[in-house]
Parts: sequence; structure tokens; C-alpha cells
Amino acid sequence: MRVPLLRTGVGAAGAVAALGAWQLAATAGPLADSPLPTAADSIGTLARLFATPELWRALGDTVVMAIAGLLLATVVGVVLGVGIGTSPLAMHATRVPLEFLKPIPPIVILPIVVLVLGPTMAMGVFLVFFGCFVAIAVQSAAGVFDTDPVARATGRSYGMGRGEILTRIVLPSALPYIGTAIRVAAPTSLIVAVVAGLLGGGPGLGQSLLLAQISGDQAQLFAYVLALGILGLLVQGLSQWGERRLLHWHPQYRKEIR
Amino acid sequence: MVFTSSIPARTSVARRAGRSGTPRWVLIGTEVLVPIVLLGLWWVSSANSTNTFFPPLQVILERLLQLVQTPTFLVDVGSSLGNLLLSFVLASVIGVLLGAALGLVPALAWFVEPTIHFFRAIPPVALVPIFVSLIGFGNETRILSITLAALFPVLISTMDGIRGTEPTLAMVSRVYRIGWFDRLVSVTLPAASPRILSGMQVSLITAFVVMIASEMLGSSTGLGAATLLAQQSFAIADMWVGILVLGVIGYATTAVFTLFRRRVLRWYLASQQQEKNA
Repeated sequence: MRVPLLRTGVGAAGAVAALGAWQLAATAGPLADSPLPTAADSIGTLARLFATPELWRALGDTVVMAIAGLLLATVVGVVLGVGIGTSPLAMHATRVPLEFLKPIPPIVILPIVVLVLGPTMAMGVFLVFFGCFVAIAVQSAAGVFDTDPVARATGRSYGMGRGEILTRIVLPSALPYIGTAIRVAAPTSLIVAVVAGLLGGGPGLGQSLLLAQISGDQAQLFAYVLALGILGLLVQGLSQWGERRLLHWHPQYRKEIR
Repeated sequence: MVFTSSIPARTSVARRAGRSGTPRWVLIGTEVLVPIVLLGLWWVSSANSTNTFFPPLQVILERLLQLVQTPTFLVDVGSSLGNLLLSFVLASVIGVLLGAALGLVPALAWFVEPTIHFFRAIPPVALVPIFVSLIGFGNETRILSITLAALFPVLISTMDGIRGTEPTLAMVSRVYRIGWFDRLVSVTLPAASPRILSGMQVSLITAFVVMIASEMLGSSTGLGAATLLAQQSFAIADMWVGILVLGVIGYATTAVFTLFRRRVLRWYLASQQQEKNA
């Protein structure tokens, strides 16, 4: 118990030291002449921003885009993945297109998407969807493919139909793969939602960031970046917690708790 | 004991047997044919397209051929690729060095870890406006933001990889009185290399995204800037050329890195395969 406590203390000291170094660099250090705002200024601006409706509206827009896109990607990805995982023909047919799409980030297709859908929420949702669905599909397919054949055969011996085997054996056993894929995709969805605002002109925190940069308001720019960092930490923590919470019954997670 | 150990054995036998049904040549045939059919569909369905946003594929490819012969396009591609590779190499080297230091000195890791995790939580693209406002629109802004964004995945995976090495390895090397430097180079780092290379893979994709973002935000050189400029001036074919070339670069860099990873980690992948078959 004492070691984790010491560790937290040292970590907090490190964070304070980092803030102190920032403050020092902006006031007295080599960066004093550059437009770098001080840490106190940025945090003060952030605190003031938290009291304005603009920040909350931008935050809401970004989160809604990220979640809507992620949900869409999950539904499409899981359906596609189950299809790929159950049929070898579908797996071979989709391998090359999926392998090609996998390393291509949504920022590549951003220009055409902005042109077709305009700088709207729908554009952001589509970009998030594009950025997440391939990974979810590939992971679900791997999960379905990894189902214990003995369990499958047992189901068949008990006279289960194909649909019942799918919903009661294959899907539950693939859930950890799907859960991991969604946990990994959650931060990505947030990043893409910010990119949609920053480069695509869509609503949300990305746009606020761009406006702060264009208007040259350094303290506000840094405050928005700090807000994004806090949001990112929250998303990471929540998705980890949610995954553990929802899948605690699966053998793969039971081991960890013991 | 006998019963529990026999179940996974039976499972692995059943798994290795595979599912028959569709003959193998049909499967391989579809794998080869589907991409060709998809490209063909794009070609045919867009051939007489009057939609401004989706010009015929033929027009796009002809434009690509024209553009490849112009020096500006080649300079754009070269500057993008150069920034990407330079920043990725820089981020990998700094990331491995810093990560090794943090992995070996726990007190130091405790001190900076919360700060590092906060930085990693910031969407990497959001760092670009900061550097633009601090340093301006020069090329060093782009290199700096790509390097910093790509640094964190390598750094964190190196740290975790070094911390997660088998304790027996450290003990054996101490028994053999291997010096700390030799131990680091020939025991600890190789043992952590699977994790390090996974981190580098994430870094590469991050670097690619930030490369495009840094060019799209007010820069005038680079493929990302050219693509966005084409979009804004309604040069739709040029925009599609940019999208296609960027897509191919994204795919190709990942493919080359996967080959590199497979070569470096041959011993590890082989041992994993052996474990699976056992």
C-alpha cells in the first residue's frame, strides 16, 4: 500500500515540476520572447472557458460525433466481421480490400468527404466511422474465427440451429476481441472528431482550436489543447473501465481479477 | 490433470484440421479476383459520370500521369515522404533511448509517467496548431510536430517492454557478470523488441496522419497541402490524384515496415509459432 502511495506522490511532483518548468520557460527562460503563454495563464483561461457555454457546446459536438461514428462503426464492423469469420469465402473475398483500407487513416479521404457532405456533423460522423470500422471488423472476424471448434461441435450435438450457435456460442466467445477493438477505437474516434473540426471545418473542439490559432489567442489555444488532453484521459479511462465492467464474466477477464 | 490438459489438445487438433467445404482454388481465386473486380467496377460505373465530385477513374489516372511529369508534384511528394521518414526515424531513436532510460530507472519513470500519459492523451493533430503559432509555417514546424506526435507510442511501448522482460534473464546475465551496457544491448533490448516494434508501428501511422495534418494547416508544400488546395479550387481530378497517392503511400509505408518487423523479429515469430503448435 505504501509503494503505490509513494508512486502517486512522485508522479504528482513530476506533473507539478513540468508545469513549473513551463512557467519558468515562458517567463524567464529561453522562450520568454516567443509567443508561448505561461502555464498560469493557460490554466486560468481554461478555468474561464469552463464557465462559458461555447466550450461545452464544442465539447458536446465533438463527443456526439465521436460516439455516433463509433456506434455506426461497431454495428457495421461486427456484422461484417461475423460474416467474414463464419465464411471462408467471404474472408478471402474481403482480405485484400480490408488490408488496403486498414493502414489508410480517414484524414486521407477528408477532402472528398468535406466536398460531398460539407462542414457538418454528418461529415465528422462519417470520418469517425471510416477510421474505426475496418479495425473492428478485422478484430471481430478474428474473434469469430477463434471460437473453440469443440464448443461449436457440442452445440451442434445438442441440436442447436445455426442461428442459435451464432448467438449463444460464437458471439459470446468473440466478445473480448470486439471489446478490445472498441476500447482501442475509442481514442481514435475522439482524434478523428477533432481532425474533422480542425481540418474539415466541422463543428466541435477542433474548430475552436483553429479559431484560437487564427485569432492568435495563445492562452486560449493552449487552454483548448489542455481541455483535449483531459478529455482524452477521460475517454481512455472510461473505455477501459467499461470493457472490464461489461466483460467481467469472460474467462479472459476472470483471470486478471484473481 | 489429464482431463484438463487433453481438452485444449483436442481443440487445437480440431482447429488445425480446418474447415473444408469450399475448395482451395476457389478461395485463392476470389482473393485475387475481388480487388480486380472492384477496380473494374469503379472504372465502368464512373466512366460516364457527370457528377462533379466523382469524375471517371480514367480522367483521374490520366491526370496522375500528367502530374507525375511536373516538377512541383514530385517536389510535393518528395517533401512529404522526406518529412515522414526523417521524423519517424528521429522519433524511433529518441523514443527507444528515453524509453530505455525510463524502463531501467523506476524512480525516474514514476516522476514523469503521469505527465507523459497526459501528453499522449492529447490528440496528436492538436499539437500542430501549437507549433504553427510558436514557430511559424516553416518545414521545421512540420518535422517537430510529426516527431513529437510519433514519439509517445515508441517511448511508452519501450518502457513497458523493458519492464515486462523475464526477470530470469536479468538474473542469468548477472550470474554471468555481463556489464550493464552489454546487458542492455544484447539482453534487455532484444527481449523488449517485440513490444518496441509494435509501438513503432503505431508511431508510423501517427506520423503519417500528422504529416498530412501539418501540411493541410496553412503550409504550401507537401502532398497534403496540394490535395487541400486542389479541393478548395475545385480541381477535382487533382484532389483525387492526391487522395490516391496519399492512400498508396500510407499502405506502402506500413507494408514496408511490416516486412522489416518480420525480418527483425524472425526468432520471436518462430518461437510463437512453435508454442502454438505444441
